[in-house]
Amino acid sequence: MSEALKQSLDVSLFWEYRGVLLEGLTFNFFVFLCSAVVALSVGLGAALLRMNRLWPIRWIGTLHVEVFRNAPDYIMLVWVHFVLPLLIGIVIRRRVEFHPFLSAVLALGLVYSGYFAETFRAGIQAIPQGNLDAGRAFGMSERLILWRIALPQVVRRMLPEALNLFVSMFKATTIVSLIAVPDLMYNVSMVIQQEMRPLPLYTGAALTYFLIILMLSSGVRVFSERWRRKILA
Amino acid sequence: MGDVPRIRIADLHKNFGPLEVLRGVSFDVHRGNVVSVIGASGSGKSTLLRCVNYLEQPNSGEVYIEGEPLGSRIDARGQRRPRSLAEINAMRRELGVVFQQFNLWPHMTVLGNVIEAPIRVRKLPRKEAIAYGEECLRRVKLIDKRSEYPARLSGGQQQRAAIARALAMRPKAMLFDEATSSLDPELTEEVLGVMRELAADGTTMIVVTHEMSFAHEVSDRVIFLHHGMIEEEGPPAEIFGKPKSDRLRQFLSKYRK
Amino acid sequence: MGNWERLVWNQRDVLLAGLGVTVEVCAIAFTVAIIGGLALCLVRTYLAPLRPIAVVVIEFFRDTPIFVQLMWVAYVWPEMFGFPSTFFNAGWLALALQSSGYLAETFRAGIEAVPRGQREAAFSAGMSQSQTFARIVLPQVALATAPSIVNQFTVIVKSSTLISVITVPDLMSQSQKLVNVWYEPIEILTATAGIYIAFVFLISSAGKLLADRLLQRYGLNAS
Repeated sequence: MSEALKQSLDVSLFWEYRGVLLEGLTFNFFVFLCSAVVALSVGLGAALLRMNRLWPIRWIGTLHVEVFRNAPDYIMLVWVHFVLPLLIGIVIRRRVEFHPFLSAVLALGLVYSGYFAETFRAGIQAIPQGNLDAGRAFGMSERLILWRIALPQVVRRMLPEALNLFVSMFKATTIVSLIAVPDLMYNVSMVIQQEMRPLPLYTGAALTYFLIILMLSSGVRVFSERWRRKILA
Repeated sequence: MGDVPRIRIADLHKNFGPLEVLRGVSFDVHRGNVVSVIGASGSGKSTLLRCVNYLEQPNSGEVYIEGEPLGSRIDARGQRRPRSLAEINAMRRELGVVFQQFNLWPHMTVLGNVIEAPIRVRKLPRKEAIAYGEECLRRVKLIDKRSEYPARLSGGQQQRAAIARALAMRPKAMLFDEATSSLDPELTEEVLGVMRELAADGTTMIVVTHEMSFAHEVSDRVIFLHHGMIEEEGPPAEIFGKPKSDRLRQFLSKYRK
Repeated sequence: MGNWERLVWNQRDVLLAGLGVTVEVCAIAFTVAIIGGLALCLVRTYLAPLRPIAVVVIEFFRDTPIFVQLMWVAYVWPEMFGFPSTFFNAGWLALALQSSGYLAETFRAGIEAVPRGQREAAFSAGMSQSQTFARIVLPQVALATAPSIVNQFTVIVKSSTLISVITVPDLMSQSQKLVNVWYEPIEILTATAGIYIAFVFLISSAGKLLADRLLQRYGLNAS
């Protein structure tokens, strides 16, 4: 065991390939950024649908949220990458293929739109009715009330929860290697194929992610403490 | 006193499900007049005020602002049709509302609250809105707090900020919905002082209130509401000095200390 | 539709076998996670000298993404520690480790939420530390954290899709096998996604019911 232990703790191999691996990590970051945009916008849309006056529209929003919130990331990734292009291809009668990056962004964005929709909804419901009444009393349109009165307050209230979701999303980007997006884990497997030494690389990857996420989530924790105190002052 | 009343309330009825809250309320408010509405809880005072700017839609009856009906209009072909929300919003600009819970928007500073509607609804340029907004804040003696957030103000200060916010829209009339009921006694007086000044300046006001001495002092007319109907109305001297109905006498006796 | 019948219904044995493996792995992982999480929490709270180690371990399991942890446990641990010996074991072990990190924090919040006065009341009545813990603190923690624990089970089920990557024959793996045989991914993958979504939905609905019931009977809010 000591030989293997020494080998796996000998992360110099990991360090040697740091250039390639860092490139992979930036891919994780880009996937995260793009998915976050999708998740926020679709999530907001779904939350607003759920608050519509007409019940069929509300039902569509709820369906969206329940489907994507309960779907495992990986199956959604595989489905978006392999099934969705075929479905679109049937409709427009041409062969369609998704670039893996697109599938990754779409799949993760949709899954997390479910979580963000719930976050938005909780935030909107927490706004005191009087604030909205005051807006109406001044002759503000519903759209104005949403963007100037409601959403700013939703963001302030739900920022800590949203930040936690962002950290989760970033962790979730590790699975995109499974549809050949050249992220960190994908490059790790490439190096392993070349060097035939998985131990230091997997250990190195685990340590790298541990440190990054530790920093991010500690930062979020500290920020959330201060933010909550400021908002509830 | 003009010919057309600033606000005319005509036979308002409002139900919440089976509960009849307003059962035919009618009165006029002329320019520069202050009308106070008093009554027990559940008499429909707040609902009445909320119907005036259509925050609650009356089941029947109409509200006229300088002769224009709020709920409906005559279209190009001479037909009467209900107003759209956008049109109602346009008319709401003319009424300033001060709520019991202040309802300042917590994510904006005091000045931000005051200039928000003038900029977004009246489409005033920012400089103009700030200039007039600061004038309104001076009027309520809150100019030094203009960069503060509502959470850091006392209740009395928040309510004065809310009054400035309503004034900044240059409304034709101001509606006060139990403006001092949420305030501690010490803070009530500072708000009543502002309201007194507004009345003295000739502001048209409808004031729903529990403060009987204030109503006595400031009103041109007092309306006593009971179970959704006007039980008695008249000048303050009569209402408070020589109440005619038993119910009014009972109501007032609770407030005599 | 013919395809659905041919590809999904007729293959239901294969899919159900996969679902069985999924449920098995998740059940084992869940049980181990609760025990592990509780152990970590108790060490962190009550064994002062080991506290820093426990904190680091909890953070490590929580922060490392599940996929990375899975690969690490499946390929590095056998060389380093001699276990897990099978990929099946690596599967539930990795899932359990990640969840035990979350549950340790959940339990900690639950314990801290029990008002101090209750412990003082128990001591004043003459109860010992361990009695107080077993009869007063633990039951309340269990009730308050039950919804979070159920939620963690849904997380395990959702993460379990990844064990197909280390060749554990779960539902995901079986459906991919079918796709490779029949070259018709649409019905098979959609049905698989549907099964997972339905399964997770059922569990989380049960969790919501549980949370409502707890709120009604005991006035407890989920921590």
